[in-house]
Order: sequence, then C-alpha cells, then structure tokens
Amino acid sequence: MSDQNVQGTGETGLFIYGIVPSDVEPTPDAQGVGDPPGDVDVVRHGELAALVSEVALEEPVGRPADLTAYEALLDGTAAVAPVLPVRFGTVVTGPDAVQDLLEAHHDRFAAALDEFENRVQYTVHGRFDEQEVLSEILAADRRAADLAEQVRGRPEAETREQRIRFGEMISQAVELRREAANSELVEALTPYAVLNAPRAPSHEMDAVNVAFLVEADGEEDFVRELEDFAEQRRDLIRMRILGPLAPYDFVSAHQLVE
Amino acid sequence: MTVATTTGGQPGGALERAGSGGSNLADVVETVLDKGIVIDAQVSVAVVGIQLLEINARIVIASVETYLRFAEAVDRLSIVPEDQKGLPDLLEDASGAVTKGKAVGGLGKAAKEISGAVVDSLTDRGSERERPRQRRDEER
Repeated sequence: MSDQNVQGTGETGLFIYGIVPSDVEPTPDAQGVGDPPGDVDVVRHGELAALVSEVALEEPVGRPADLTAYEALLDGTAAVAPVLPVRFGTVVTGPDAVQDLLEAHHDRFAAALDEFENRVQYTVHGRFDEQEVLSEILAADRRAADLAEQVRGRPEAETREQRIRFGEMISQAVELRREAANSELVEALTPYAVLNAPRAPSHEMDAVNVAFLVEADGEEDFVRELEDFAEQRRDLIRMRILGPLAPYDFVSAHQLVE
Repeated sequence: MTVATTTGGQPGGALERAGSGGSNLADVVETVLDKGIVIDAQVSVAVVGIQLLEINARIVIASVETYLRFAEAVDRLSIVPEDQKGLPDLLEDASGAVTKGKAVGGLGKAAKEISGAVVDSLTDRGSERERPRQRRDEER
C-alpha cells in the first residue's frame, strides 16, 4: 500500500476517515465505505497521516454498511493509536488535497493527537424504564396523579386536552429527572475520566447520555464505578456503555472553522 | 433492530456493555453522526460535494404525539400511585431474575425502548447486509 495507489480521477474522490500519527499503517484487510468496500490507505505528511479510501463520486454514501465501516475503522484504530475522526462524508479530490489539508493544520492536528494518546472515549447511555418513572412521577406529583385518573380508561377523543396537559407534565418531570441523572453520572465518574461531554438526548425516555474521555489504564476503575452507578438505579434506568470508541465527542475543540 | 448482545459486565449486572466498532446500527448512527472534525470550506483543500444519503436520526423530544403517548402509557400503568409495588412491578421483579434486563421484563415495551425512532429511516436500507468485520490498524 502506498500513496501512489490512490488517484484522484474525474470519477473518484478520497473519503477521509480520520487523522493519525504518520507511523500508523492500515492492516491489509481494512475495508472502507462503498460497495464494494474500498481499500483503506494512508496519505502521509510530516508527522501526520490521513486514513482514506477511494470512493466513486456518483455513488451516494451513507448506507448502514458505510456508517458501520467508518466507525469500525476509527474505533479499531483508536484502540491502538490516537485518531482524530473526520466528519462522516468528507471527500476530497485526491492525495494532493489530503496533503494540503495536513500541511495547513499540521501543528494543530499533531497537538490534538498528543492529547488523545492512550485515551479512548466511552459513551454512557441510559433509558428510563417508562413504567417505573411514570409511577415515580405520579407518586410525587398530586396534580399529575389527578390528571392520570381523569384520562385513564377513557377514550382519547373525550380527554384529549387532559391527555396533552398530562403528557406535558410528564415530559417536564422526565426532563428534570434527566438533568439530575446526568449531573449525578458526571459527578460520579469525573474522578475516573479526563473529560466529559454531554450528549443530546436521543429519545424521550433518555435518562443519561454522556461521552467520557478515559485514560487507557483507568478503564477498569471507570467501568467499575459505572457498574455501581447502574446497580443503584437498576429498576429505574437501563444503563449501557459503548466503547472503547474513537474520541468523536472530543474533537469539536479542534474543528476548523475559518 | 435488537438489543446489542451483552458482551461483558458482571452476570446479572445492571450495566450492559455494547463494545465498539458499530455492533448496532442505532448506536453507530448516534455515535458518529454530526461528530468529527469539519474540514469543509478549507483553503486550498478540494472538498468534493458527495451525495450523502439522508440520515434522519433526530427525534423530537417534546411534541403532542409524545404527550399523548405518555397518556396511553398511563392507561397501561395498572398500579395506583400510592401503591408503588403493584402487580407489574412484582412481575418485573420475577422476570428480572432470569432475563436480567428491564427491556424484556417490561410490558411489551422492549421494541419501543431500543430507540426505534433513531433507526427507522435506516433499517429499510439494506441493514441485513453482512457487517464488515472489525479491523484494526497494526500496532505502531
């Protein structure tokens, strides 16, 4: 695999996955986006390299397999070397354009990579158990309980107004519980993480959604603490941990805005 | 979309581990979408406008539909507010012992719980395609 293998022609471009130190070498079986999947190559400049693969420009990108390939490559890389994920869908004309990019921001990228050395991201996600959280809210809020009595078992057409009012009340109560749960999570895990980044809720029953940057040698402690956190709330929140991941939520500080 | 297989954690533990490398499409979408360095419109960098399939992963958190759904949920909620340990709770406790997950012990809510909204727009697009195996770059 060498830089000469990738060419920018009229019909193809280079899909950029991420930026890595120049001594990173993709394995021969590394596959990228596209159908059939493109071979992953590197374009080097100075201390930096970009993970790229050739894509046909007429072929739309963004199928499930493309997203999965993108994440698998970046997460796999993050397990062995620091990597700066480049936003999905970034395609340039060819190796020269990649080198221009690396040259223009060489020092910034290199500094960012240093920061991510031996660090990985974990995303912690939790969902409220709907029945459980509803029970809690009704027990704590007389007005919500009264409204629940009014709508329960009666047709929606007759009780639409009360239902909307009830739902809004529940929605706000869930939001308050979400804020509290996120704060508790961040507080509990801050001693075990380098950084944290709150993530937007992706579901109305989301309880927590936070990305943490964790030192490689602190992963066990981090996970153990999180297990305790989950155990204490096991009836109320279904907790999940994703990772180790590439630092998707921690590169925003290095975004290049003109 | 199904729950990612639990790959770690203590047996019966409250924390589900989903690993990395895109084991579940909903997770992949949530993890990577709108993340990463933006190098759009850089000086001297030829960014190609490539056609991106629309990935609609954003859901509206608060809407009338949501509100009405909460009301429906309370219809199904058969316990009275003053009595926290009603029948559904007891049933869940019992099933929890063998399923170690609220998703299964709930009242048919399992499917709903797995962020169906997030992947609806994607699941009809070849999600059955074989997943590429996870790859790794070599040690440096």
